[in-house]
Amino acid sequence: MSIILEQLTKRYDGHPVVNNVSLEVGDGEFFVLLGSSGSGKTTILSLIAGLTGADHGRVLLHGRDVTYLPTQERRVGFVFQNYALFQYMSVAENVEFGLSIRKVPAADRRKRRDELLDLVGLAGLGSRMPRQLSGGQQQRVALARALAYNPDVLLLDEPLGALDAKIRVELRRNLKAIQRKLGITTILVTHDQEEAFDLADRLGVMSFGRLLEVGTPDELYQKPQTEFVASFLGSGNLLLGKISETGVQLGGLHFPFTQEARREVDEGRVQVLFRPEDVALAPTPEALDCPELGQAVVEEVSFGGSFERLRLRLPPIPGVRPLSPPVAFGSSSILVEATRLPDQASRFPLEPGSQTWVGIHRIHTLEHPGLSFLIVSDGSRRSEAAIALGGQIARLAHARVTLIGCGMEGESMQTHLQEARKQLGSGLAALDEHTFPHSPAQAVTMAIEQQPYDLVILGFDPREDVPLVEQLLHVGEHHLLLVPGPQGTPVRALICVASGEPGKDDVLFAGRLVRHLGAEATLLSVLPPASKEADLQRRAEHFLEGGVQSLSLLGVPARTAIRSGIVADEIAQEMAQGGHDLLVLGVPLAKPSGRVSLSGLVAQILDRVSDRSILVVRSHYLGARTYPIINGSRDKLSTNGGR
Amino acid sequence: MSAIEAGQTPEYKHTAVPSLPWGRWGLRTAALTYLTLMLIIPLAVIFQDGLREGLSGLWEQVTAPIAWSALMLSLWTSAVMTVINTVMGALTAYVLVRYEFPGKSLLNSIIDVPLAIPTLVTGVMLVVLFGPQQALGAWLKEEFDFSIIFAPPGIILALLFITFPFVVRAVQPVLIDMDQTQEEAATTLGARGWSIFRRITLPPLVLPLASGALLSFARAIGEFGAIVIVAGNIPLYSQTAAVYVLGEVESENRLGASAVSIVMVAIAFSLILLVGWLQRRRRKDNQ
Repeated sequence: MSIILEQLTKRYDGHPVVNNVSLEVGDGEFFVLLGSSGSGKTTILSLIAGLTGADHGRVLLHGRDVTYLPTQERRVGFVFQNYALFQYMSVAENVEFGLSIRKVPAADRRKRRDELLDLVGLAGLGSRMPRQLSGGQQQRVALARALAYNPDVLLLDEPLGALDAKIRVELRRNLKAIQRKLGITTILVTHDQEEAFDLADRLGVMSFGRLLEVGTPDELYQKPQTEFVASFLGSGNLLLGKISETGVQLGGLHFPFTQEARREVDEGRVQVLFRPEDVALAPTPEALDCPELGQAVVEEVSFGGSFERLRLRLPPIPGVRPLSPPVAFGSSSILVEATRLPDQASRFPLEPGSQTWVGIHRIHTLEHPGLSFLIVSDGSRRSEAAIALGGQIARLAHARVTLIGCGMEGESMQTHLQEARKQLGSGLAALDEHTFPHSPAQAVTMAIEQQPYDLVILGFDPREDVPLVEQLLHVGEHHLLLVPGPQGTPVRALICVASGEPGKDDVLFAGRLVRHLGAEATLLSVLPPASKEADLQRRAEHFLEGGVQSLSLLGVPARTAIRSGIVADEIAQEMAQGGHDLLVLGVPLAKPSGRVSLSGLVAQILDRVSDRSILVVRSHYLGARTYPIINGSRDKLSTNGGR
Repeated sequence: MSAIEAGQTPEYKHTAVPSLPWGRWGLRTAALTYLTLMLIIPLAVIFQDGLREGLSGLWEQVTAPIAWSALMLSLWTSAVMTVINTVMGALTAYVLVRYEFPGKSLLNSIIDVPLAIPTLVTGVMLVVLFGPQQALGAWLKEEFDFSIIFAPPGIILALLFITFPFVVRAVQPVLIDMDQTQEEAATTLGARGWSIFRRITLPPLVLPLASGALLSFARAIGEFGAIVIVAGNIPLYSQTAAVYVLGEVESENRLGASAVSIVMVAIAFSLILLVGWLQRRRRKDNQ
């Protein structure tokens, strides 16, 4: 491995811009980091080059730990976004710079310089000054300069970003050819998807400081594992369907598993992706060569160059909820994007308003379904804090957000929602909003009837709101985040686990959330005050170690703490002493009677820890599970087909 | 397309300038008359006065021992000041631009203070600080037999104080605009502190440094107010050219005053021309 990054983290003002990134790039590989601006991809290059110091983690180049080496000793070739050519030196002096610093004799320097200028196609331009060159030429000088002293790895920061489209494509080809010829391990950073697909042996998608997925362009396009990557790379149709032992169910459509994917499947919800080119259109269901989803109305037809792009509206399908393209809140009809080749389009011409049958050639289920949050606001100060924190967490976790306003009417509600939307700001995966003139508990109940959520976020006053919390836990399977007041993004979470109980689900969901935040975790167990049994102590330690292990698998740095005493007091003390700003409590599922009662321990804790956010996690939670990928290939379905 | 544009541009320019002839000529005449009255006539008069007895007369006046020594003193103290000011001014500007520290913005505004306070006051300040009756001045005199006030070091200090802003303000904007990724690029290529400064940071600073240095030199040659207080004005030891001219005027040796004045004007004038040329070259470099 030429480049190994281990759990790299870089924070600015407490916010992780690079969050626990681990990556291995092989010898001679062309690796591309793809992400929108501000996703931390350039910072990763700076960390590798040593232009910025890491807060946590290690950088290894060709097996050498360079984490604490100065830039000069890391032997990285770096091409900057603006090329950073030395304006007061000629092209030749620029290219020779790395060699002259290393005191290479002048004759060898000249030879190497001419080789490189030849390689990048600028032979004979050595005596020019940088400002006399075009953008494309400057970029090539920057490349020659970075390569001249034979660096171990090559880092390219949006090297083609400032050039116009035609030159970009040409230089892309040059770049790839040069990289192949020299066999130098390369990381290129870009926000341009086409460029990434074109250049990459493998690519990694970054968002908000996290490296979400790594794979070949084909793997990431065909089989993404996260909702973000699925919707970031190309356009896609994302539906929420059902998964069972036999396969995936989309309304009346059944996609069976391939053999290896059968393991560990329970009943549940699953996110299903299919690409526009996997959609088949035909005048009758019989004419489709694949399973049909239903009959749709064409909403839009547009010309996309070598293909035709369509947007179709399907009537609601029971058990299927659309995620992307987004539909209006409450509407249950389904939008589907489709593309067709010109000959298909001419055989079966469609225009807005036409009817067509829609079939799907193949689907892909997401291994890590995206989260969806419900933020509840009644216009109080507390709910403002909930909106602020909820929005921040949702951005970091790529969660879709539904904001519901309740307990207000008419104009005040509208202005409030407008303010809230402004506060939530941009960068959210999706934002819906809805209003209910009812109490928060009723509003949440009604919203949950429309669709389930992973996390409900609301402002919280421990003196008044305990019954409300009980009600909210009663109406659905979601977890709760209680926000007592304005607070920054949590950086230290305290996860309380009762030893001996199967607290795995809470640790997992909390871990998932904490990982998105880039925070650290402490696992706490409180033993009864009287207990001096060494056995109990040992069991607790063992149990917590297991928790730390599963957290570190998620990439969350964690430590353990064991206290003994009165539970609520000990938790409150640990909270204050450890500087924790998020408390995670597991609560059991509803009793058979259907009621959730918090009186007793939880109420005590809520009362004691009144100034920090509290995450109330349900055990046996369905969304924290992972699903196997389905290789629903076309042949598979056609042998099964004839539906 | 380009032909049309080329045809249109001059026409546009033609209509944009006021077309009334008296307006155009009137403005020029006013400006030129003012310039002539205020600058050229006084300059011409002093040349005419100084050359009353021909070049040899002027030469005689200038090479008279006291005059010559005064001119030389002015030149060498200014030169020493310029060297110190260039190095320290560049350093100050670099620190002000590149580093963050408490009181930075206050310090940044203090740099212009020497432009605002009367130079006489500068002289008084230095006498109060280093004068032989003061603690510091007395201590220096006693311990090292080194006097500042009423001696050339005092002149240099006074000149440094007065010209402090010139180099800083010439270099600062260039440093602010400088693209620091060039320095980062040099780091990735293996260069370290001093060679980065020498090969990457310094070259763009050479011209602004030179014009700042020349401006402060030109300003120093003619300084009077601060020096007259600090230097003690001992002929052949601590009397500068400007103070000498005053003495000659007071003792009614107009020829001597004019002659030395002409030399000072000539030096200042050629420096200003040089600065102008440097700044034009820099602008051309930046294009």
